Amino acid sequence: MAQIPEVYVLGGYQTDFARNWSKEKKHFVAMMREAVLGALEETHIEPSEIEVAHTGNFAGELYSKQGHLGAFFLEIDPAFSGIPTARHEAACASGSIALLAAAAEIEAHRYDLACVVGVEQMKTVGPGEGGDFLGTAAWYELEAKGIEFPFPKLFGKLGDEYDKRYGIKDEHLAEISTINYANGKLNPNAQTRTWYMNYDHAMSRDEFNGSIGGRIHISDCSQVTDGAAALLVASPEYAKKWAERVGVPLESIPRIKGWGHNTARILFEDKIAESANSEYILPHVRSTVTSAQKRAGIANTSGIDAIETHDCFTTSEYMAIDHFALTAPGESWKAIEEGVIALGGSTPINPSGGLIGAGHPVGATGVRQVLDCHKQVAGTAGDYQVEGAKNVQTLNIGGSGTTSVSFVIGT
Amino acid sequence: MAHGGLAAAVKMVRSSTVGSRVDTGSYDDDFDRVVAEADLIFEAVTEQLDLKQQFFDRIDKVRRPDSIVATVTSGLSINQLAEGRSESFRKNFLGLHFFNPPNVIVGTELVAGKDTDPKLVDFIDAYCTKLLGRAMVRTADTAGFAGNRVGFKLLNECAILAEEHGPLLIDELVGPYTGRALTPLATVDLVGWDIHRAIVDNIYELAPDEAHETLKLPGYMADLMAKGVLGRKTGGGFFGKDDAGGQIVLDPKTQNYVAKASISRPDLSFIDEISNLHRVGRYVDGMRAFAEATGPYAAIAQKVIAGYISYSFNRVGEVTDDISGIDRIMGYGFNWAPPSVLVDTIGLKRTIQMIEKAGLAVPPALANAQEGTTFFDDPQVNVGKFFVAA
Repeated sequence: MAQIPEVYVLGGYQTDFARNWSKEKKHFVAMMREAVLGALEETHIEPSEIEVAHTGNFAGELYSKQGHLGAFFLEIDPAFSGIPTARHEAACASGSIALLAAAAEIEAHRYDLACVVGVEQMKTVGPGEGGDFLGTAAWYELEAKGIEFPFPKLFGKLGDEYDKRYGIKDEHLAEISTINYANGKLNPNAQTRTWYMNYDHAMSRDEFNGSIGGRIHISDCSQVTDGAAALLVASPEYAKKWAERVGVPLESIPRIKGWGHNTARILFEDKIAESANSEYILPHVRSTVTSAQKRAGIANTSGIDAIETHDCFTTSEYMAIDHFALTAPGESWKAIEEGVIALGGSTPINPSGGLIGAGHPVGATGVRQVLDCHKQVAGTAGDYQVEGAKNVQTLNIGGSGTTSVSFVIGT
Repeated sequence: MAHGGLAAAVKMVRSSTVGSRVDTGSYDDDFDRVVAEADLIFEAVTEQLDLKQQFFDRIDKVRRPDSIVATVTSGLSINQLAEGRSESFRKNFLGLHFFNPPNVIVGTELVAGKDTDPKLVDFIDAYCTKLLGRAMVRTADTAGFAGNRVGFKLLNECAILAEEHGPLLIDELVGPYTGRALTPLATVDLVGWDIHRAIVDNIYELAPDEAHETLKLPGYMADLMAKGVLGRKTGGGFFGKDDAGGQIVLDPKTQNYVAKASISRPDLSFIDEISNLHRVGRYVDGMRAFAEATGPYAAIAQKVIAGYISYSFNRVGEVTDDISGIDRIMGYGFNWAPPSVLVDTIGLKRTIQMIEKAGLAVPPALANAQEGTTFFDDPQVNVGKFFVAA
């Protein structure tokens, strides 16, 4: 049997997540186009070299009344005529699923160069309608139908479960929010980079920071975002030629060193019932993290220099901290208090600002996370660079901890 | 008064924590004490030379010799404002022009006077960039500085053209598809006609240049202002609403308003075609189609855009050291496609042809450049965002 080839991440591009593409009166294909052409320019690759394209998107049918998003890849450049394409959906993990598919095809020796583009245009509708659309990432009929903003409520319940089992404090959630916003200010593509935020505001409970789901307040939430991100991933054969062409050593190109992928039952209460005897509240998320590390040959998170995690709400990042085993289960607050997760800490989480600071265009998020890992490992993250980052890991979650995907990107 | 201002700030930023970080006071009771304690004195009183000078006189008497004095002005001369002040005041004095609303628009002009300490200019530049998240542009102490000089030249040119063609047509011809979110004459209504007049009169008087006549306020605007028309703040300017809430448009020739629905749209299919290209992200195709569009209406739009590009490049060396300063303030301050973005998107040769066709002189920076040169140099900016699809 032939050896499984490595999958190289050559580079990519994300759009400015502060943009409102509805105000620009644009179709989402414009967003895909800017991301893909930006990635090609960044990597000095010609459109004709791309052999296959995978699109990650959650709900084009709802936000833009348009399905079949893979086909829109061909609208980007005439050179893409005839190219194989596919669209992948797994709620907020759609972008990671698209990358898994592209990586699998490279591992299977089918293609040497793939483009992965994640895209979501969310500002086509108001917050109420958008919140309802997002409810389809849960079991809509049972958990979202007729409920205003179902997801903040589900992730509020995650906080409640922590409270029940271990205790949880608003102060620590506010600190998570503060760090993500502060990091976002260093990221020129972050949606919130010019917004006003500080710890006191995150702890305030008046009209400007009301509750929208139990313990979840506005400052605990990720953003409604229009955005796209694209990556170019390649086989060793292509990467070798490319490295010579652009004049870099092959060893310096970041690779997908490991991946993890699990699914838990879709209802939040079923997940909780299932984990009643586990020390982890979402054990399948824990498995995703450890299987990615195992495949990368990394024993535990001490071998990871930074994390790009799925902070759709502050409670999700609170969960990620102990699920990465930065602390014992239930003790995430220790890593927050000790400065472990801050930029400059021993394992910074979301140097980009994450979903709270950088923004959360649902189908693009998984791709954006890997792009940010690439930037960290390649040393091109600018003001939010984690010094000396060699291995950076993602955690991308669809639904209420339902589909989990993690990548370890490193050299 | 001061408390009302703070309440407005809390509402604007949407956080009560602003309130606990700000102390308010009165000019009578607190001024001397607060100014004496301050590291940075940031003056933002009404744009009247004599009024500002009165305050500077008071500040000069009580400030610490090492404190910084910054003034918000969109047009008054920094050197003139500093006249008669102490040496330490002049050394520590500079202009800091924030654009409205400052919590949304990050473009900020930094203007040094002839006696301003260069080290202070570097410090304020870095402070505003790093701590306040501003996009800083250094400009010379010239009328309107960089942004308003270039921006209001285009706005006033549109107001002049509106006399013959009507505001509705002009705003569509120089509309979002040419690289801006808000149409030109709607912008003048929003800014206020009085502010518009103050800015263009100042430039017209102090900076006679190759576009002198396009900076002369149209007579019909002066007439209507005498009757109390000041734009949106007085209920309408170029555009407004009738008593029944229907949209109405000014007819500058008669100085009366007519129903928007009664104005027929001529054949502007070239705009529809370009908008459709922008909508799917084909900005280069769109702007090339713009440069190549034919007919009298396309010629009007091309002349305004060609004028914007050539006027911007001609200001290099006069108001900023390089074109990137003007690019930055037009992008970050006005949210318009910066002149270099237009040249890159349209293409150098087509841009030069467009400028020549408009009967304008081609700026040397363009005439001497090689085809294929990229003018816009800010990789952080998504240039596509400027091209709004109608």
